[in-house]
Amino acid sequence: MIALKTWREIRVMSLMYLLLFELLLVPVILLWPDFYGDLRRSLPSMFKALEFTKRIGEGISNPDEDFAYRNWLAVMLYFRSINLVGIAGAVLLGTALFAREREAQTLEFLLSRPVSRIRILWEKSWPTALCLVAPIFLANWSAILWSRHIDIVVPFLPLTLASLHGACFVMSFLALTTLVSVLCRVQAHVAFWVGGFTVLQIGIYLIPRVRRYSLFRLSDFDWYAPIVSGNHGLIDMFDPVGHAGLTTYLVLATVLLYALALRALQKLEL
Amino acid sequence: MCVSSGPAILARGIGKSFRQRLVLNSIELHVERGELIGLIGKNGAGKSTLLRILTGLIPRDRGEVSVLGMDPSVAAKRIRERTGYLPGETSVYQQMTGQQFLDFALSFYPRRQTALLDDLLDIFALPLQQRVRNYSAGMKQKLALIASLSPDLDLYLLDEPDRALDASIRFQLRDVLLRMRNDGRTFVLSSHHLSEVETLADRLEFLLDGSLVAPQVIAKARARLQRLVRIKLTQNAILPTNCTVLTKEADGTMILEPIDAPLDWLKLLPPSSVCTAEIGIARLEDLYKLLLAEVLA
Repeated sequence: MIALKTWREIRVMSLMYLLLFELLLVPVILLWPDFYGDLRRSLPSMFKALEFTKRIGEGISNPDEDFAYRNWLAVMLYFRSINLVGIAGAVLLGTALFAREREAQTLEFLLSRPVSRIRILWEKSWPTALCLVAPIFLANWSAILWSRHIDIVVPFLPLTLASLHGACFVMSFLALTTLVSVLCRVQAHVAFWVGGFTVLQIGIYLIPRVRRYSLFRLSDFDWYAPIVSGNHGLIDMFDPVGHAGLTTYLVLATVLLYALALRALQKLEL
Repeated sequence: MCVSSGPAILARGIGKSFRQRLVLNSIELHVERGELIGLIGKNGAGKSTLLRILTGLIPRDRGEVSVLGMDPSVAAKRIRERTGYLPGETSVYQQMTGQQFLDFALSFYPRRQTALLDDLLDIFALPLQQRVRNYSAGMKQKLALIASLSPDLDLYLLDEPDRALDASIRFQLRDVLLRMRNDGRTFVLSSHHLSEVETLADRLEFLLDGSLVAPQVIAKARARLQRLVRIKLTQNAILPTNCTVLTKEADGTMILEPIDAPLDWLKLLPPSSVCTAEIGIARLEDLYKLLLAEVLA
């Protein structure tokens, strides 16, 4: 019943979230042929400004159009959509989970029902996770269909694996937001702390020398491009010592953050 | 209904502090099954904290507690399967309709008292198809009450159930609670409407300054109240000196504590100087004030 209530509260947001993904996706796919032609003639100077944007520029202007297009998808689908819309969605939905209930004084009602706190966390978390993750997969799979309009075939598996990594990245932010939502009494405070943390990570990512310390390194072009191009498989993603094994750490971080959220919820005194 | 034996609630030496502030200190509480206990105390006295400890919502720092034969710190969920709890702050989901909230709240319990639910819906006459956000404070409280009382349970812990309710609804609620008590249900309820709690409760517990007032202290205070005199004198009457004025109301009515026997003291006054006089005070409000003054002293 808690899961159904959570689903009812966020289903519209999930739909809007999918719509937003599609709005960000469709133009960048359909405009690709013209854009690629321009890129081949002259790479815009903004790509040459930073070391990592230079790499992106080289990737999306590659003479092999299929390869260039997959790099383009890696930038647009993941680096842009997931890191922007996905994280925003995780913060938006996550802040409401517990802090809003505390603010509205309904948490005491919920906690005093004959239901364990682990079940409350579970029944609030899985519909939220589903609402966040499903649009990522659906929007990315729709890229396969949209790409046919410009006569480019995008294989299903690499796109799905990249979506899986993106979903894990977003889930880790949702887990972090859930933890902060349990700890804070006011929803705006959760948004402040997690939003502030995210902005800090973006800031670090844009400074060349310290870029490697940003969490966004876990979800950027350098990670997605090889997966979308089919150079890494599922096993590589979960190989903790391999280059592509970052997914493992995202899963571990998510589990750890949820464990901390549960501990905080069990110790919560109203 | 209860199947196991023993008291509904047995608490010994419960203590609880929040950030170095002692909220509850050595609480001793014994509630028999089928009893209705009124919990009285000023705001911040620890009534809500005590009820939360009993439901297992928050842990105690010290002491032993048994609710329906179980320890809330170990078996909170099992206790809540048999205990209805009404939080002190009205907590209802604003975005739901009244009906959706009731369905949600009752979905946690396997059985409900259908006849009682119908009665409460009749008494409270809520527009259940409207969203809760459009309800007044009193309507929200009524909805929370229906959600708390309708499940078929053994024990009901109600934190200010009559808050935001008008007098006529409070009387009807009192009748419902008495009916449920007569069916063998156990209640602990806190309230600020002293006269109504007095008529409803089998026994009153005064929670003052973090401690329940001991029965012998209450008995002593009641005995003292029997010696007090409520009196209103004529305008120019002179009050004898061998008494202490405890309170004086706006209309000139005073509550006095004579040094000698009250009747002997009254005889000292010329009859023409007395408008009204009454020996012995039985109002709960006065008992509460006296206990409060003694505890604060």
